[in-house]
Amino acid sequence: MHDAAGTVSAILPDVRTEGRDEAGLIRAAQSGDHDAFERLVRAHDRGVLRLAMNFLGSPDEARDVYQEAFLKVYRNLQSFRFDCLFHTWLYRIVTNICLDHLRRRKVRKEESTVVDTEEGQVDRAIQVEERSPAGDPERQMWNRQLSARIGKALDALTPRERTVFELRHYEGLRLRAIGEIIGTSEEAAKNCLFRATQKMRSSLETFV
Amino acid sequence: MNCVDVKSQIVFYVYGEISSDVEERIESHLDECAECQAELARHRVFLQAMEQRDEFSDDVLLAECRADLRNSLGSKVPVEAPAPFSAHWTGWLDSLRRFSGFHIPFRIPVGAMALVLLGWLGARYTPEKFGGVRAGLGEPMFSSVRSVAPEGAGKVQIAVDDVQRRVVVGDLRDQRIQTLLLTAVRDESNPGVRVESLGFLQNSGDSQEVRRALIDAATHDQNAGVRLKAIEGLKQYGGDEAVRKTLANILMQDEDPGIRVRAIDLLTAHHDDSIVGVLQDVVQKDDNNYVRTRCRNLLETMKASVGTY
Repeated sequence: MHDAAGTVSAILPDVRTEGRDEAGLIRAAQSGDHDAFERLVRAHDRGVLRLAMNFLGSPDEARDVYQEAFLKVYRNLQSFRFDCLFHTWLYRIVTNICLDHLRRRKVRKEESTVVDTEEGQVDRAIQVEERSPAGDPERQMWNRQLSARIGKALDALTPRERTVFELRHYEGLRLRAIGEIIGTSEEAAKNCLFRATQKMRSSLETFV
Repeated sequence: MNCVDVKSQIVFYVYGEISSDVEERIESHLDECAECQAELARHRVFLQAMEQRDEFSDDVLLAECRADLRNSLGSKVPVEAPAPFSAHWTGWLDSLRRFSGFHIPFRIPVGAMALVLLGWLGARYTPEKFGGVRAGLGEPMFSSVRSVAPEGAGKVQIAVDDVQRRVVVGDLRDQRIQTLLLTAVRDESNPGVRVESLGFLQNSGDSQEVRRALIDAATHDQNAGVRLKAIEGLKQYGGDEAVRKTLANILMQDEDPGIRVRAIDLLTAHHDDSIVGVLQDVVQKDDNNYVRTRCRNLLETMKASVGTY
């Protein structure tokens, strides 16, 4: 399903439309049913991993975020009281962990596109080219530069702007849900999205 | 609605984040305003450019994350006070399920066996005055019924294999403990025991036998979780030629891409020109994009050509 922006928004788990089933799963998991917990994880984990990858751009860090987030969910599931949707609660946990990682990275003054891998430091922009189908070298060069610029522009956003933009543009969440995730109103999330978009457009002006 | 209003709403218009009446007013303005149409077109170009960011949809990474989580949860399940018998059963099944993947195809036969065993134990504990068979109730005992045959006069003859449980505690470097662990590594009935045993063996010090057991499990075990654990155990022997050859074979042959990736991880730690050919072959033939990319990266790090000529 694509929205007017052309971004994929059908990434929310099917279980969200089956709220009662998910509530049953959560209750079962709360009472110690491992099967139920695993099904709950599987219903949401692809989105969690993608969000972490989008935030951090590093498979290793995304893996850590995935692990940390679901262990946190596991440990704190008893305290989930159905005050909000489960995915809202989960994404709140995930975005907070991602932001912690970004903060730590900023403290280390790492370059935004350069990430640590087991083979040493790798530029994400180069990886983009590697995963792209073979084609026009000039086009590949252009895409690589654009991709790197997008990464830098995203890194330049404030943590809140970054979160709102990631969740709205790449994860396809509604602004109301995003407001719940970051603990603010829909209107404030809307303003945040506007500022983030303006900044992104300004940063990418030479490319678009 | 004027141009300023429309331009301030375009961000939300394209995301469908405005009410239908505002949407209609924007569209009627756009119909008549070339400047705002151009602004909308520019915004769509911007959004299209944003899609240039690499979309990560990595099934291998997801599988690895799931395996990590499963292992973590397996080790984090709190050890509680002695549980009732029924809880032991469900706990046992849970651990078996965890180590066998999320779905357990043999749940039904296991359940049936459990019921048979429970029935047998029920009979075993039946007081003598009801015609039951008295047996020692001392130490825990594993039993299986070998055969059942009629004995005449309404009686039945049951051949029962009893296995007495014995708890052995010892140092990991003790040869006898290692022998037990090496036996457990080959216990085909329980992948959970094999994983745990491999974990202990890899910390039990270097020995040819341990190394062989790890290589054997990494190469031949039917359970992917066990193979993965064995590969982790081989990490400490990454410089060993036989181990590197095993890892290269795993990279070429293991059906699980997550395991092939782990093999690459270990091969990466000790650059060795002799694996260049294997890596080049994998780049050409592996059906998994991530595996190919990792091999290509490794070849580039080794300053070797990616292709074969």
